Amino acid sequence: MNFDMKATTESELARLIVDTLHLELNPDEIVPDARLFGEGLGLDSIDALELALALSRSYSIELKSDDPDIKEIFSSLRSLAAYVARHRGS
Amino acid sequence: MSASVSDWSRQHERGNAILTRLMAWLILRLGWSAGQLLLLPVTAWFIVASGSARAASRGFLGRVLGRRAGFLDVSRHFLSFANVTLDRLFLLTGRTASYRFEVEGLDGLRATLDQGRGCVLLGCHLGSFEALRAIAADCPQRIRPMMYRANAAEPTRLLERLNPALARDIIELGTLGAMLEARESVVRGEIVGMLADRAHRGEKSVAIDFLGSPALFPAGPILLAGALEAPIFLCFAPRIGPRHYRILIEPFHDGMRLRDGGRDAAARIWLKEYVARLEHHCRAHPFNWFNFFDFWSASAKVGDATRQVERLASAAGVRCAQLNDGAAVFDRDADAGTCLGAPAP
Repeated sequence: MNFDMKATTESELARLIVDTLHLELNPDEIVPDARLFGEGLGLDSIDALELALALSRSYSIELKSDDPDIKEIFSSLRSLAAYVARHRGS
Repeated sequence: MSASVSDWSRQHERGNAILTRLMAWLILRLGWSAGQLLLLPVTAWFIVASGSARAASRGFLGRVLGRRAGFLDVSRHFLSFANVTLDRLFLLTGRTASYRFEVEGLDGLRATLDQGRGCVLLGCHLGSFEALRAIAADCPQRIRPMMYRANAAEPTRLLERLNPALARDIIELGTLGAMLEARESVVRGEIVGMLADRAHRGEKSVAIDFLGSPALFPAGPILLAGALEAPIFLCFAPRIGPRHYRILIEPFHDGMRLRDGGRDAAARIWLKEYVARLEHHCRAHPFNWFNFFDFWSASAKVGDATRQVERLASAAGVRCAQLNDGAAVFDRDADAGTCLGAPAP
Protein backbone atom coordinates (compact mmCIF):
# COMPACT_ATOMS: atom_id res chain seq x y z
CA MET A 1 0.00 0.00 0.00
CA ASN A 2 1.51 3.31 -0.98
CA PHE A 3 1.44 6.40 1.17
CA ASP A 4 -1.17 8.27 -0.89
CA MET A 5 -3.67 5.48 -0.72
CA LYS A 6 -3.27 5.33 3.04
CA ALA A 7 -3.91 9.07 3.31
CA THR A 8 -6.97 8.72 1.11
CA THR A 9 -8.40 5.97 3.28
CA GLU A 10 -7.78 8.00 6.41
CA SER A 11 -9.57 11.09 5.11
CA GLU A 12 -12.36 8.96 3.67
CA LEU A 13 -12.80 7.23 6.99
CA ALA A 14 -12.70 10.48 8.94
CA ARG A 15 -15.59 11.66 6.77
CA LEU A 16 -17.43 8.38 7.38
CA ILE A 17 -16.97 8.70 11.15
CA VAL A 18 -18.22 12.29 11.23
CA ASP A 19 -21.22 11.49 8.99
CA THR A 20 -22.19 8.23 10.66
CA LEU A 21 -22.00 9.58 14.18
CA HIS A 22 -23.27 13.09 13.40
CA LEU A 23 -20.18 14.62 15.00
CA GLU A 24 -19.98 18.36 15.02
CA LEU A 25 -16.47 18.68 13.73
CA ASN A 26 -14.53 18.80 10.52
CA PRO A 27 -13.22 15.41 9.36
CA ASP A 28 -9.66 16.76 9.18
CA GLU A 29 -9.88 17.67 12.86
CA ILE A 30 -9.66 13.99 13.75
CA VAL A 31 -6.03 13.34 14.66
CA PRO A 32 -5.04 10.03 13.00
CA ASP A 33 -3.11 8.77 16.00
CA ALA A 34 -5.49 9.96 18.71
CA ARG A 35 -7.68 7.46 20.47
CA LEU A 36 -11.18 7.28 19.01
CA PHE A 37 -12.80 6.01 22.19
CA GLY A 38 -12.75 7.19 25.76
CA GLU A 39 -10.61 10.27 26.27
CA GLY A 40 -9.81 10.84 22.57
CA LEU A 41 -12.86 11.61 20.46
CA GLY A 42 -14.98 10.38 23.35
CA LEU A 43 -16.87 7.78 21.34
CA ASP A 44 -18.63 4.95 23.14
CA SER A 45 -19.48 1.33 22.41
CA ILE A 46 -22.73 2.19 20.63
CA ASP A 47 -20.80 4.56 18.35
CA ALA A 48 -18.39 1.72 17.73
CA LEU A 49 -21.25 -0.52 16.68
CA GLU A 50 -22.62 2.14 14.33
CA LEU A 51 -19.18 2.58 12.87
CA ALA A 52 -18.79 -1.15 12.37
CA LEU A 53 -22.14 -1.23 10.54
CA ALA A 54 -21.09 1.73 8.40
CA LEU A 55 -17.89 -0.13 7.45
CA SER A 56 -20.04 -3.06 6.47
CA ARG A 57 -22.26 -0.88 4.27
CA SER A 58 -19.50 1.22 2.68
CA TYR A 59 -16.72 -1.33 2.28
CA SER A 60 -18.43 -4.71 2.76
CA ILE A 61 -16.12 -5.28 5.70
CA GLU A 62 -17.76 -7.52 8.28
CA LEU A 63 -16.17 -7.29 11.69
CA LYS A 64 -16.83 -10.29 13.88
CA SER A 65 -17.52 -10.18 17.60
CA ASP A 66 -14.86 -12.79 18.26
CA ASP A 67 -12.14 -11.04 16.29
CA PRO A 68 -9.29 -10.81 18.83
CA ASP A 69 -7.97 -7.62 17.21
CA ILE A 70 -11.13 -5.53 17.48
CA LYS A 71 -9.76 -3.33 20.24
CA GLU A 72 -6.59 -2.65 18.29
CA ILE A 73 -8.45 -2.02 15.01
CA PHE A 74 -10.73 0.56 16.58
CA SER A 75 -8.04 2.24 18.66
CA SER A 76 -7.38 5.12 16.26
CA LEU A 77 -8.27 6.49 12.85
CA ARG A 78 -4.87 5.30 11.60
CA SER A 79 -5.31 1.69 12.72
CA LEU A 80 -8.87 1.62 11.40
CA ALA A 81 -7.70 2.99 8.04
CA ALA A 82 -4.95 0.39 7.85
CA TYR A 83 -7.50 -2.33 8.52
CA VAL A 84 -9.89 -0.99 5.87
CA ALA A 85 -7.09 -0.66 3.33
CA ARG A 86 -6.19 -4.32 3.93
CA HIS A 87 -9.75 -5.63 3.70
CA ARG A 88 -11.73 -3.32 1.43
CA GLY A 89 -13.47 -4.99 -1.44
CA SER A 90 -11.95 -8.33 -0.52
CA MET B 1 -4.85 -2.36 57.99
CA SER B 2 -6.35 -2.48 54.54
CA ALA B 3 -5.30 -6.11 54.26
CA SER B 4 -7.31 -7.05 57.30
CA VAL B 5 -10.30 -5.10 56.03
CA SER B 6 -10.22 -6.87 52.71
CA ASP B 7 -9.68 -10.21 54.47
CA TRP B 8 -12.74 -9.53 56.51
CA SER B 9 -14.71 -8.50 53.47
CA ARG B 10 -13.60 -11.63 51.62
CA GLN B 11 -14.64 -13.79 54.52
CA HIS B 12 -17.91 -11.98 54.73
CA GLU B 13 -18.51 -12.52 51.04
CA ARG B 14 -17.66 -16.18 51.33
CA GLY B 15 -19.98 -16.53 54.31
CA ASN B 16 -22.78 -14.92 52.38
CA ALA B 17 -22.15 -17.09 49.35
CA ILE B 18 -22.33 -20.26 51.42
CA LEU B 19 -25.47 -19.07 53.17
CA THR B 20 -27.02 -18.05 49.85
CA ARG B 21 -26.28 -21.42 48.31
CA LEU B 22 -27.57 -23.25 51.37
CA MET B 23 -30.82 -21.29 51.39
CA ALA B 24 -31.36 -21.67 47.67
CA TRP B 25 -30.80 -25.40 48.00
CA LEU B 26 -33.17 -25.62 50.96
CA ILE B 27 -35.94 -23.70 49.23
CA LEU B 28 -35.63 -25.68 46.03
CA ARG B 29 -35.63 -28.90 48.09
CA LEU B 30 -38.55 -28.05 50.34
CA GLY B 31 -40.61 -26.34 47.69
CA TRP B 32 -42.55 -23.18 47.15
CA SER B 33 -44.78 -23.48 50.24
CA ALA B 34 -41.82 -23.73 52.58
CA GLY B 35 -40.33 -20.76 50.74
CA GLN B 36 -43.52 -18.87 51.44
CA LEU B 37 -43.14 -19.51 55.16
CA LEU B 38 -39.58 -18.22 55.09
CA LEU B 39 -40.77 -15.17 53.21
CA LEU B 40 -42.65 -13.51 56.04
CA PRO B 41 -39.76 -13.21 58.51
CA VAL B 42 -37.43 -12.28 55.66
CA THR B 43 -39.75 -9.51 54.50
CA ALA B 44 -40.23 -8.26 58.04
CA TRP B 45 -36.46 -8.14 58.34
CA PHE B 46 -36.17 -6.10 55.11
CA ILE B 47 -38.74 -3.63 56.27
CA VAL B 48 -37.07 -3.10 59.61
CA ALA B 49 -33.51 -3.08 58.37
CA SER B 50 -33.68 -0.92 55.28
CA GLY B 51 -34.73 2.63 55.99
CA SER B 52 -33.70 4.05 52.63
CA ALA B 53 -35.59 1.39 50.70
CA ARG B 54 -38.62 2.03 52.90
CA ALA B 55 -38.43 5.73 52.10
CA ALA B 56 -38.04 4.97 48.39
CA SER B 57 -41.07 2.70 48.47
CA ARG B 58 -43.14 5.31 50.27
CA GLY B 59 -42.05 7.98 47.79
CA PHE B 60 -42.91 5.89 44.74
CA LEU B 61 -46.23 4.63 46.10
CA GLY B 62 -47.26 8.15 47.11
CA ARG B 63 -46.78 9.30 43.53
CA VAL B 64 -48.35 6.35 41.80
CA LEU B 65 -51.32 5.92 44.16
CA GLY B 66 -51.94 9.66 44.36
CA ARG B 67 -52.22 9.58 48.14
CA ARG B 68 -49.97 9.28 51.15
CA ALA B 69 -48.58 5.75 51.35
CA GLY B 70 -48.78 4.18 54.76
CA PHE B 71 -46.95 1.36 56.52
CA LEU B 72 -49.33 -1.24 55.12
CA ASP B 73 -48.70 -0.06 51.56
CA VAL B 74 -44.96 -0.24 52.08
CA SER B 75 -45.25 -3.69 53.68
CA ARG B 76 -47.29 -4.90 50.73
CA HIS B 77 -44.67 -3.52 48.36
CA PHE B 78 -41.84 -5.34 50.17
CA LEU B 79 -43.81 -8.56 50.37
CA SER B 80 -44.49 -8.36 46.66
CA PHE B 81 -40.75 -7.95 46.00
CA ALA B 82 -39.97 -10.90 48.25
CA ASN B 83 -42.54 -13.04 46.45
CA VAL B 84 -41.18 -12.19 43.03
CA THR B 85 -37.66 -12.87 44.26
CA LEU B 86 -38.73 -16.28 45.55
CA ASP B 87 -40.54 -17.02 42.29
CA ARG B 88 -37.42 -16.17 40.32
CA LEU B 89 -35.62 -19.02 41.98
CA PHE B 90 -38.26 -21.41 40.63
CA LEU B 91 -38.58 -19.77 37.23
CA LEU B 92 -34.85 -19.69 36.76
CA THR B 93 -34.57 -23.40 37.42
CA GLY B 94 -37.50 -24.27 35.19
CA ARG B 95 -39.86 -25.29 38.01
CA THR B 96 -42.80 -23.60 36.34
CA ALA B 97 -45.41 -26.38 36.26
CA SER B 98 -47.49 -24.90 39.09
CA TYR B 99 -47.32 -21.35 37.73
CA ARG B 100 -49.97 -19.59 35.67
CA PHE B 101 -49.04 -17.08 32.98
CA GLU B 102 -51.42 -14.84 31.11
CA VAL B 103 -49.61 -13.80 27.99
CA GLU B 104 -50.66 -10.84 25.86
CA GLY B 105 -49.03 -9.64 22.68
CA LEU B 106 -46.87 -12.66 21.98
CA ASP B 107 -48.37 -13.06 18.50
CA GLY B 108 -46.85 -9.82 17.24
CA LEU B 109 -43.43 -10.83 18.50
CA ARG B 110 -43.77 -14.30 17.06
CA ALA B 111 -44.89 -12.98 13.67
CA THR B 112 -41.76 -10.84 13.49
CA LEU B 113 -39.54 -13.76 14.50
CA ASP B 114 -41.27 -16.02 11.98
CA GLN B 115 -40.16 -13.63 9.25
CA GLY B 116 -36.65 -14.40 10.36
CA ARG B 117 -36.13 -10.99 11.91
CA GLY B 118 -34.44 -10.73 15.28
CA CYS B 119 -35.87 -8.39 17.90
CA VAL B 120 -34.90 -6.25 20.82
CA LEU B 121 -36.96 -6.77 23.98
CA LEU B 122 -36.82 -3.94 26.49
CA GLY B 123 -37.64 -5.07 29.99
CA CYS B 124 -37.66 -3.19 33.28
CA HIS B 125 -37.87 -3.68 37.02
CA LEU B 126 -41.64 -3.94 37.02
CA GLY B 127 -42.58 -7.48 37.95
CA SER B 128 -40.29 -10.29 36.93
CA PHE B 129 -38.29 -10.34 33.74
CA GLU B 130 -37.70 -13.96 34.64
CA ALA B 131 -41.35 -14.76 33.99
CA LEU B 132 -40.51 -14.27 30.37
CA ARG B 133 -38.74 -17.61 30.50
CA ALA B 134 -42.11 -19.21 30.84
CA ILE B 135 -42.95 -18.21 27.30
CA ALA B 136 -39.55 -19.26 25.99
CA ALA B 137 -41.07 -22.58 25.01
CA ASP B 138 -43.54 -20.73 22.77
CA CYS B 139 -40.81 -18.56 21.38
CA PRO B 140 -38.95 -20.09 18.51
CA GLN B 141 -35.80 -18.13 19.23
CA ARG B 142 -33.10 -17.83 21.83
CA ILE B 143 -33.36 -14.91 24.24
CA ARG B 144 -30.00 -13.25 24.83
CA PRO B 145 -29.98 -10.98 27.91
CA MET B 146 -27.37 -8.24 27.72
CA MET B 147 -25.83 -7.52 31.10
CA TYR B 148 -22.66 -6.98 33.06
CA ARG B 149 -21.01 -9.96 34.60
CA ALA B 150 -17.82 -8.44 35.91
CA ASN B 151 -17.56 -7.96 39.66
CA ALA B 152 -20.33 -10.47 40.15
CA ALA B 153 -18.22 -13.56 40.35
CA GLU B 154 -20.18 -15.40 43.01
CA PRO B 155 -23.69 -14.68 41.69
CA THR B 156 -22.50 -15.63 38.22
CA ARG B 157 -21.14 -18.93 39.47
CA LEU B 158 -24.45 -19.59 41.20
CA LEU B 159 -26.41 -18.72 38.09
CA GLU B 160 -24.24 -21.01 36.05
CA ARG B 161 -24.85 -23.79 38.52
CA LEU B 162 -28.60 -23.20 38.61
CA ASN B 163 -29.04 -22.88 34.89
CA PRO B 164 -25.92 -23.31 32.77
CA ALA B 165 -27.78 -22.97 29.48
CA LEU B 166 -29.14 -19.61 30.53
CA ALA B 167 -25.76 -18.34 31.59
CA ARG B 168 -24.41 -19.18 28.14
CA ASP B 169 -27.05 -16.95 26.57
CA ILE B 170 -25.86 -13.82 28.34
CA ILE B 171 -24.10 -11.22 26.23
CA GLU B 172 -21.71 -9.42 28.46
CA LEU B 173 -21.95 -5.68 27.98
CA GLY B 174 -19.23 -3.13 27.85
CA THR B 175 -17.17 -3.83 24.76
CA LEU B 176 -17.49 -3.44 21.02
CA GLY B 177 -17.32 -7.23 20.86
CA ALA B 178 -20.52 -7.40 22.90
CA MET B 179 -22.22 -4.90 20.60
CA LEU B 180 -21.21 -6.91 17.55
CA GLU B 181 -22.39 -10.07 19.25
CA ALA B 182 -25.79 -8.46 19.83
CA ARG B 183 -25.88 -7.45 16.18
CA GLU B 184 -24.94 -10.96 15.03
CA SER B 185 -27.62 -12.30 17.34
CA VAL B 186 -30.45 -10.21 15.83
CA VAL B 187 -29.18 -10.95 12.33
CA ARG B 188 -29.53 -14.65 13.19
CA GLY B 189 -33.12 -13.88 14.19
CA GLU B 190 -32.67 -14.08 17.95
CA ILE B 191 -34.07 -11.86 20.72
CA VAL B 192 -31.76 -9.48 22.52
CA GLY B 193 -33.06 -8.43 25.94
CA MET B 194 -32.12 -5.34 27.91
CA LEU B 195 -33.39 -3.64 31.04
CA ALA B 196 -34.28 -0.08 30.17
CA ASP B 197 -35.45 1.64 33.34
CA ARG B 198 -32.36 2.21 35.46
CA ALA B 199 -29.87 4.96 34.73
CA HIS B 200 -26.40 4.25 36.01
CA ARG B 201 -23.56 6.47 37.01
CA GLY B 202 -21.25 7.25 34.15
CA GLU B 203 -23.90 6.36 31.60
CA LYS B 204 -25.69 8.73 29.28
CA SER B 205 -29.08 9.49 30.72
CA VAL B 206 -31.98 11.77 29.98
CA ALA B 207 -34.39 13.42 32.43
CA ILE B 208 -37.97 12.54 31.52
CA ASP B 209 -41.15 13.34 33.39
CA PHE B 210 -42.21 10.24 35.28
CA LEU B 211 -45.18 10.22 37.67
CA GLY B 212 -45.09 13.96 38.12
CA SER B 213 -41.46 15.02 38.02
CA PRO B 214 -38.31 14.41 36.00
CA ALA B 215 -36.30 11.26 36.61
CA LEU B 216 -33.18 10.06 34.85
CA PHE B 217 -33.53 7.24 32.34
CA PRO B 218 -30.71 5.54 30.49
CA ALA B 219 -30.25 6.48 26.83
CA GLY B 220 -28.15 3.39 26.14
CA PRO B 221 -30.76 0.65 25.70
CA ILE B 222 -32.93 2.71 23.32
CA LEU B 223 -29.94 3.92 21.30
CA LEU B 224 -28.43 0.48 21.14
CA ALA B 225 -31.78 -0.93 20.03
CA GLY B 226 -31.81 1.71 17.30
CA ALA B 227 -28.26 0.90 16.27
CA LEU B 228 -29.14 -2.79 16.00
CA GLU B 229 -31.84 -1.87 13.46
CA ALA B 230 -34.18 -4.54 14.76
CA PRO B 231 -37.85 -4.23 15.77
CA ILE B 232 -38.23 -3.19 19.40
CA PHE B 233 -40.79 -4.70 21.76
CA LEU B 234 -41.48 -3.78 25.37
CA CYS B 235 -42.05 -6.40 28.01
CA PHE B 236 -43.72 -6.08 31.40
CA ALA B 237 -44.34 -9.08 33.61
CA PRO B 238 -46.24 -8.13 36.78
CA ARG B 239 -47.09 -10.72 39.41
CA ILE B 240 -50.85 -10.61 39.87
CA GLY B 241 -51.25 -13.34 42.48
CA PRO B 242 -49.50 -16.33 44.03
CA ARG B 243 -47.59 -18.08 41.23
CA HIS B 244 -49.60 -16.03 38.78
CA TYR B 245 -48.05 -13.61 36.29
CA ARG B 246 -49.25 -11.47 33.46
CA ILE B 247 -46.79 -11.13 30.61
CA LEU B 248 -47.38 -8.13 28.40
CA ILE B 249 -45.49 -7.70 25.17
CA GLU B 250 -45.99 -4.51 23.19
CA PRO B 251 -44.58 -3.44 19.83
CA PHE B 252 -42.65 -0.21 20.33
CA HIS B 253 -40.67 0.73 17.22
CA ASP B 254 -39.75 -0.97 13.97
CA GLY B 255 -36.12 -0.21 14.80
CA MET B 256 -35.36 1.48 11.51
CA ARG B 257 -34.11 5.07 11.35
CA LEU B 258 -34.71 5.51 15.07
CA ARG B 259 -31.70 7.78 15.30
CA ASP B 260 -32.71 10.08 12.48
CA GLY B 261 -32.51 13.67 13.58
CA GLY B 262 -29.53 12.99 15.82
CA ARG B 263 -28.82 10.79 18.72
CA ASP B 264 -29.72 13.12 21.58
CA ALA B 265 -33.03 14.12 20.04
CA ALA B 266 -33.87 10.48 19.29
CA ALA B 267 -33.03 9.39 22.82
CA ARG B 268 -35.30 12.09 24.23
CA ILE B 269 -38.23 11.39 21.88
CA TRP B 270 -38.21 7.63 22.28
CA LEU B 271 -37.45 7.61 25.98
CA LYS B 272 -40.46 9.85 26.45
CA GLU B 273 -42.60 7.31 24.60
CA TYR B 274 -41.05 4.51 26.61
CA VAL B 275 -41.60 6.24 29.94
CA ALA B 276 -45.26 6.86 29.05
CA ARG B 277 -45.73 3.08 28.68
CA LEU B 278 -43.77 2.42 31.85
CA GLU B 279 -45.92 4.89 33.73
CA HIS B 280 -49.08 3.25 32.41
CA HIS B 281 -48.01 -0.17 33.68
CA CYS B 282 -46.77 1.25 37.00
CA ARG B 283 -50.23 2.66 37.63
CA ALA B 284 -51.81 -0.67 36.77
CA HIS B 285 -49.38 -2.67 38.94
CA PRO B 286 -47.89 -0.28 41.51
CA PHE B 287 -46.67 -2.97 43.91
CA ASN B 288 -44.60 -4.59 41.18
CA TRP B 289 -42.14 -1.71 40.91
CA PHE B 290 -38.78 -2.93 42.17
CA ASN B 291 -36.49 0.05 42.16
CA PHE B 292 -35.94 0.58 45.85
CA PHE B 293 -33.91 3.77 45.61
CA ASP B 294 -34.84 7.41 45.18
CA PHE B 295 -35.70 7.21 41.52
CA TRP B 296 -36.10 10.98 41.21
CA SER B 297 -32.89 11.94 42.91
CA ALA B 298 -30.90 14.24 40.60
CA SER B 299 -27.60 12.88 41.81
CA ALA B 300 -28.90 9.47 40.74
CA LYS B 301 -27.15 7.41 43.35
CA VAL B 302 -28.67 4.58 41.51
CA GLY B 303 -28.77 1.30 43.18
CA ASP B 304 -27.42 2.21 46.61
CA ALA B 305 -30.66 1.46 48.38
CA THR B 306 -31.41 -1.36 46.00
CA ARG B 307 -28.00 -2.81 46.70
CA GLN B 308 -28.78 -2.66 50.38
CA VAL B 309 -32.00 -4.59 49.82
CA GLU B 310 -30.16 -7.05 47.60
CA ARG B 311 -27.52 -7.52 50.28
CA LEU B 312 -30.21 -8.26 52.81
CA ALA B 313 -31.89 -10.59 50.35
CA SER B 314 -28.55 -12.27 49.89
CA ALA B 315 -28.12 -12.70 53.61
CA ALA B 316 -31.59 -14.15 53.73
CA GLY B 317 -30.63 -16.50 50.98
CA VAL B 318 -32.90 -15.49 48.17
CA ARG B 319 -30.48 -13.38 46.23
CA CYS B 320 -29.55 -16.20 43.92
CA ALA B 321 -33.02 -16.02 42.49
CA GLN B 322 -32.21 -12.55 41.29
CA LEU B 323 -29.18 -13.48 39.36
CA ASN B 324 -30.58 -13.16 35.97
CA ASP B 325 -32.28 -9.97 36.87
CA GLY B 326 -29.17 -8.16 35.91
CA ALA B 327 -29.87 -5.50 38.45
CA ALA B 328 -27.28 -6.59 40.92
CA VAL B 329 -24.83 -7.15 38.16
CA PHE B 330 -25.64 -3.88 36.47
CA ASP B 331 -25.37 -1.82 39.62
CA ARG B 332 -22.13 -3.23 40.77
CA ASP B 333 -20.50 -2.54 37.50
CA ALA B 334 -21.79 0.97 37.35
CA ASP B 335 -19.13 1.74 39.92
CA ALA B 336 -16.46 0.43 37.65
CA GLY B 337 -17.68 2.83 35.01
CA THR B 338 -18.23 0.21 32.36
CA CYS B 339 -21.78 1.10 31.54
CA LEU B 340 -23.73 0.68 28.42
CA GLY B 341 -22.83 3.72 26.44
CA ALA B 342 -19.62 4.22 28.35
CA PRO B 343 -16.29 4.33 26.58
CA ALA B 344 -15.35 1.27 24.60
CA PRO B 345 -13.77 -0.93 23.56
